[in-house]
Amino acid sequence: MHAVEDVETSRELGSFMNDRVVRKAIADSGRQPFKRATSRLNFIAPTVNGRFVLLCLLSLAPSTARGEDELFRKHVAPILATRCVGCHHAGDAKGDLDLTRQVGLIAGGESGPAIVVGEPSESVLLDMVAGDDPEMPKNGDPLTAKQVAVLRKWIQMGATWPDDLTLVEDKGPWWSTEPIANPPVPSVSPADETWARTPVDRFIVHKLREHGLAPSAEADRRTLIRRLYFDLIGLPPEPAQIDAFIADSSPDAYERLVDRLLASAHYGERWARHWLDVVHYGDTHGYDKDKPRPNAWPYRDYVVRAFNADKPYGRFIREQLAGDVLYPETRDGIEATGFISAGPWDFIGHAEVPETKIDGQIARNLDRDDMVSTTMNTFVSMTVQCARCHDHKFDPVSQEDYYSLQAVFSALDRADRRYDPDARIAAERARLNTDRQKLTAKLEAIDTRIHQRAGSELTEIEQRIAALEQDKPKQQSAAFGYHSNIEARDDVEKWVQVDLGKSLPIENIIVVGCYDNFNSIGAGFGFPRRFKIEASDDPRFEQKVTLVADHTQDDMPNPGVEPLLFDVDGPRSRYVRVTATRLATRQNDYIFALAELKVIVPDTVNAAIGAHVTSLDSIEAPSRWQRKNLVDGKFYGKSTASSGADNLALLRRRQQELIDQATLPATKDEQQRAQELLAGNSNSIAKLPAQEVVYTGTVHTGAGTFRGTGHDGGKPRVIHVLERGDVRTPGAVVQPGTVAVIDGVEARFALPDDHAEGRRRAALAEWLAHKKNPLTWRSIVNRVWQYHFGRGIVDSPNDFGRMGLLPTHPELLDWLVAEFRDGGQSMKALHRLIVTSSVYRQTSAGNDRAAETDGDNLYLWRMRRRQLDAESLRDSVLLISGRLNHQMHGPGFQDFVIDKPEHSPHYEYHRHDPDDPRSHRRSIYRFLVRSQPQPFMETLDCADPSQSVAKRSQTLTALQSLALLNNRFMVRMSEHMAQRDAADPGDLSAKVARAFARTTGRSPTADEQLALTAYAREFGLANTCRVILNLNEFVFVD
Amino acid sequence: MQPQLSEAVRSCPLSRREWLWQSGGGLGGIALAGLLGGENLQAEDETLPSSTGPTGGVLHHPAKAKRVVQLFMSGGASHVDTFDYKPELIKQNGQAWDPGESVELFQNGHGETMASPWKWRPFGECGKYLSETVAPLGECVDEMAFIHSMVGKTGVHSQATYLQATGFQLPGFPGMGTWVSYGLGSMNENLPTFVVLPDRRGYASNGPRNWGPGFLPAEHQGTIIRPGTENPIADLFAPHDTYISRQSDARGLELIRQLNRRHEQRRPGDGRLDARIRSYELAAKMQLAAPEALDISGEPKHILEMYGLNHGVSDFGSEINASEETEYFGQKCLVARRLLERGVRFVQIWSGNDNRHPRRNWDSHENIERDHGPLALGMSHGAAGLIRDLKQRGMLDDTLVLWTTEFGRMPCSQGSKGRDHNPFGFTNWLAGGGIRAGVTFGESDEWGYKPADRDKPTYVYDVHATILHLLGIDHERLTFRSDGIDRRLTDVHGHVIQEILA
Repeated sequence: MHAVEDVETSRELGSFMNDRVVRKAIADSGRQPFKRATSRLNFIAPTVNGRFVLLCLLSLAPSTARGEDELFRKHVAPILATRCVGCHHAGDAKGDLDLTRQVGLIAGGESGPAIVVGEPSESVLLDMVAGDDPEMPKNGDPLTAKQVAVLRKWIQMGATWPDDLTLVEDKGPWWSTEPIANPPVPSVSPADETWARTPVDRFIVHKLREHGLAPSAEADRRTLIRRLYFDLIGLPPEPAQIDAFIADSSPDAYERLVDRLLASAHYGERWARHWLDVVHYGDTHGYDKDKPRPNAWPYRDYVVRAFNADKPYGRFIREQLAGDVLYPETRDGIEATGFISAGPWDFIGHAEVPETKIDGQIARNLDRDDMVSTTMNTFVSMTVQCARCHDHKFDPVSQEDYYSLQAVFSALDRADRRYDPDARIAAERARLNTDRQKLTAKLEAIDTRIHQRAGSELTEIEQRIAALEQDKPKQQSAAFGYHSNIEARDDVEKWVQVDLGKSLPIENIIVVGCYDNFNSIGAGFGFPRRFKIEASDDPRFEQKVTLVADHTQDDMPNPGVEPLLFDVDGPRSRYVRVTATRLATRQNDYIFALAELKVIVPDTVNAAIGAHVTSLDSIEAPSRWQRKNLVDGKFYGKSTASSGADNLALLRRRQQELIDQATLPATKDEQQRAQELLAGNSNSIAKLPAQEVVYTGTVHTGAGTFRGTGHDGGKPRVIHVLERGDVRTPGAVVQPGTVAVIDGVEARFALPDDHAEGRRRAALAEWLAHKKNPLTWRSIVNRVWQYHFGRGIVDSPNDFGRMGLLPTHPELLDWLVAEFRDGGQSMKALHRLIVTSSVYRQTSAGNDRAAETDGDNLYLWRMRRRQLDAESLRDSVLLISGRLNHQMHGPGFQDFVIDKPEHSPHYEYHRHDPDDPRSHRRSIYRFLVRSQPQPFMETLDCADPSQSVAKRSQTLTALQSLALLNNRFMVRMSEHMAQRDAADPGDLSAKVARAFARTTGRSPTADEQLALTAYAREFGLANTCRVILNLNEFVFVD
Repeated sequence: MQPQLSEAVRSCPLSRREWLWQSGGGLGGIALAGLLGGENLQAEDETLPSSTGPTGGVLHHPAKAKRVVQLFMSGGASHVDTFDYKPELIKQNGQAWDPGESVELFQNGHGETMASPWKWRPFGECGKYLSETVAPLGECVDEMAFIHSMVGKTGVHSQATYLQATGFQLPGFPGMGTWVSYGLGSMNENLPTFVVLPDRRGYASNGPRNWGPGFLPAEHQGTIIRPGTENPIADLFAPHDTYISRQSDARGLELIRQLNRRHEQRRPGDGRLDARIRSYELAAKMQLAAPEALDISGEPKHILEMYGLNHGVSDFGSEINASEETEYFGQKCLVARRLLERGVRFVQIWSGNDNRHPRRNWDSHENIERDHGPLALGMSHGAAGLIRDLKQRGMLDDTLVLWTTEFGRMPCSQGSKGRDHNPFGFTNWLAGGGIRAGVTFGESDEWGYKPADRDKPTYVYDVHATILHLLGIDHERLTFRSDGIDRRLTDVHGHVIQEILA
């Protein structure tokens, strides 16, 4: 800590230091690599008037002129940083003058050198800022006489500027990054003391009185219970529940109601929805094609569970960023990381464009941008994404800070992750996998030994095989092969045979499977599970039959389109027959198909080409399927360049011979044992319970264009600062880190060189969840307040920066923050604190006098009337109509029909049956399509999962009215509501009253009763329910 | 609708900065005018001086245009087969194509130089060369201004479509029509301000997000209308075959109004309650106005002919064909004109859906002639009809027409008959309100690969800035504060293209 104590100007300097002097230093103007090894960040933290001031400078070498350095650091730097550097900095230097660095000062600008050392009167810099009407600074007040004096003295004394010290503009302190205060609860007048139930109320009433305002009366119980229900569980109370609450005369009736609602599983469903708005959770990728993400929902369920379990917020943060690292053996630890991948993703930009292309790099840069902004907007309400193209214009976020955040996520892709929710199973699987690796390594070693013994011929043959396999283009001719008739059972025997024309000395027989994408089968289409191959001179295969291959006793693994080679040891034969004894599955039926049958006679001649083919039956569907295709030399995967596939099978055979020769008996035994162990290992793995799958930010191992980082062992991609955010202009490499806002915590993470990817996220999680992080705790408390009152204490919930709004009740915010952070970080406790207050229980009635002072009700002189959000409205309609399906968790329900799923799915909502009970679950379980939002819900302002929605927009439009009147969902639910009421006793008037009470929470007045019953008499109850569901009294909560 | 706004104006305990926030972000006076809902406040009064601040409620400068039609060709329409005549491609057809620099293609299909399958000839007084597949637009070239120096940022459909539609490559940003609705407000009381006419076969990349509200109030998003279908506007009427009759509906609405009014009177001081009552009245007006606006059956024969709606074919078959393309695109153009006449401010017409096979969009990787032929002919019949019809009604003077696509296509072949994506060069054209007629601005190079002057590309920002300019809006001053940034349609870019202004 360096106290401010120097020279004659100490008073003014005190005020400079009161401002943040130099936010942080960046190595060499922010474009050079950050050299951790040779640099040292100094955090100098003088405390002035109890306010924390951060000064961090970068120095590479100890200064020789200590006193002069001090002059600069303590007195000159603050002036330059607060008054000059904002315009005169590298990259955007007004007048070509860069005052952030010594070199800039020396180089000067358009008006020549900025200073003449030792000669203040000849220095342009001084000339610009001194005098009665100084030219600089362009914005704001002139420098004070003392400040000018400091600069004069500095120039006079030699204008020392410590080497490599770079200044960053200091914009002064900002409320949100100041340490969290512990403000005293204000004392209030005795009358207000009576009104106030909680400290929250004292803060509120204190502020109201400051503005000449008074709190409103308490709302009646009927209003309060409806308010609490919608607020805490997103559903209306049933009339009986209202009556019971009104009748409950115990003093803690309200508190018990609050506890009951917070304990309800519906609470998690309601509040998880708020969270999902912010993290922009969706069930499709978005962008082009907008493919579904069938495994996104476990994250949604995690959030619901976390709220219901009242998970401490610090843990909630850690799990979502790095649960897989910090809590690896838990379901929550894995599923929570769905947070990282919750946002939209350009599937085409990844799957079709490799990372080597510009477009591929753009897609990946934007992908990381989404991860970074989601994390920082959500947890610390910082708009770091502004720094993707340039240093943040308003907040202390440099481009390096921003890209250091990208580096945190640089190993990650968005992909399915498999996991064992049971820790014991996970451990067992890990053990088996380790064994497996060892056995595989052992087998490889044995294989190497054999190859060494076998010598060069084997090597050569294997090279030839590899070469053949490599240039084997996968080609499909129009003639697929032979195809039997289709059977309903698989145990029907089928045969196909060739007639070679005369008896020939057959050496080998080769059969090749078909390729057909029918039913997504592809390679090995129709290849029989059991079969035999025979040769004979008898076309009926009754006499003198040579059995070439017999696979009739056990199922054989489907060989796909790999040619199978069989030796023939027997007399000359004229006919070769393949008999299928167990057919291949096609769809729900069975067939036998073969692409090619080759009969190899001496000199590797295929004697079967063009031979006559007969069979038990054949579907004969030219040109694709016909008998003669079996001997046409055409099959999938056949090389056009050579008769590679023909040779391949023969080469493979020779390869095996050589291997057999080279394998010593002892080696053979050793190999066999290892193979047996490996088989046993495979068996054990197969017996483990199936793994579960969640879509998360994870290391992806893939083939083709989108390989992820898996093929690199999950090594993080190298992240550069990108000039103007352009992938074509990479600058310095950055290390993982974040933004400097916590006292004493460095912005870049100190991680060992060989750290695993997850350490980066864990470090960020720790920074976010740090008790001294001023933003984290303010951010979440503000969000909770906002959802209770319809407006946050800070009305820009995702932006606590200089472009955001100021808190209306900063002391209250900090008081709540301290309570929350230090009191177990319990959301439910925070809710309780807020909703049991008197301010929350006020009526929402208007008051002309108060409205004149505070028309927007910023100071909460009344409760804010709430317009139902899309989910609450839909869920309430389901509840009221008796159709709500309470099933929790699991894959989302789809209220659309998917057309053309294979390429670009079309999500067709109008084809959904609104009576489908599966879709009558709460809206949080709705399958959220990004590109095609559900029209009804979108009209009601549901959140757009393509962007972080910190605050829903609330509109009242004609299209909304039309949807509530005419959408098939509303029309059908009105009918169900009527049927539900019709089943109950009473006359029409009673039924109308019941429907009205269910919807609005009160009985109709005599007038209302009369008008509605008259309408019901004429048009029926369903029409009346439709009217009731369109009432303002349903859509607004007092 | 922001009923609390007047409260904010009255009470004003806030700083100016906070006040701007309350009224919807960092908007200038112009957008406020839109929020207050008074067309009379701005576009009518073009002679007023520039904005006088939040309460001024006037345009930034006099407007030349009041309405916009945006024709969006989804999939990447080839400029070198339609509007950008390149004799070099004919000369070098079949020869190796070497632009002298490495070319990064989307799908790596770098074939030979490929001439367009269509012949080219000059049209109009300006002598603009068009390919015969867009020949119907030949009659309009003297109304049009071409920009052949358009460049994008990526060859990925989704990002590129977002860029042209919203000015950003990412989802979450408002479409141009949304910005215009937000900035200028409505010119009618019974139809939406921003209407979208999608391709009948499905949505383009990104779907309705291309015209979504983004962070702007949801009421400004595009309203989908599907002319010629059973339910052109979703939920405009109750479904058939239900318990709801015309009478129960009308009496029900009256009852809703009555009960809501009583509810509102007991709760003074909340403008939203009244606004919601009015939204039902507006809905009823829309029920009357929309069917009339969409009904083209009364249009005279010569008008139908103008839009190519006289081909006499009713069964189009399964192969992509010009008659069918003409029918559907022409219908949308005619409906667009009717909507514009009735005060709709912004109409977006889409040609082509997503990347489904067989191709029904402009993404002709396999065969330019097969897909571009019918699509371009159909499009140009309709577009030409629209321009001519607007002109004869005197509406072209204050209606802007923009033709665009997400990127162009390569001068070289892919496969033997297709072309790969070209985000480095493509064409836009504009016509109508305030546009200099019959000009070409910004040439492409001899192959149509990149802008001829590589230092002077034209970006979507410039086109957007120009359109806003003609609507009386300074693109740098139409802003909305979202997550700490005063967002603009043009991001931090954009220059009004003076060369194409009349």
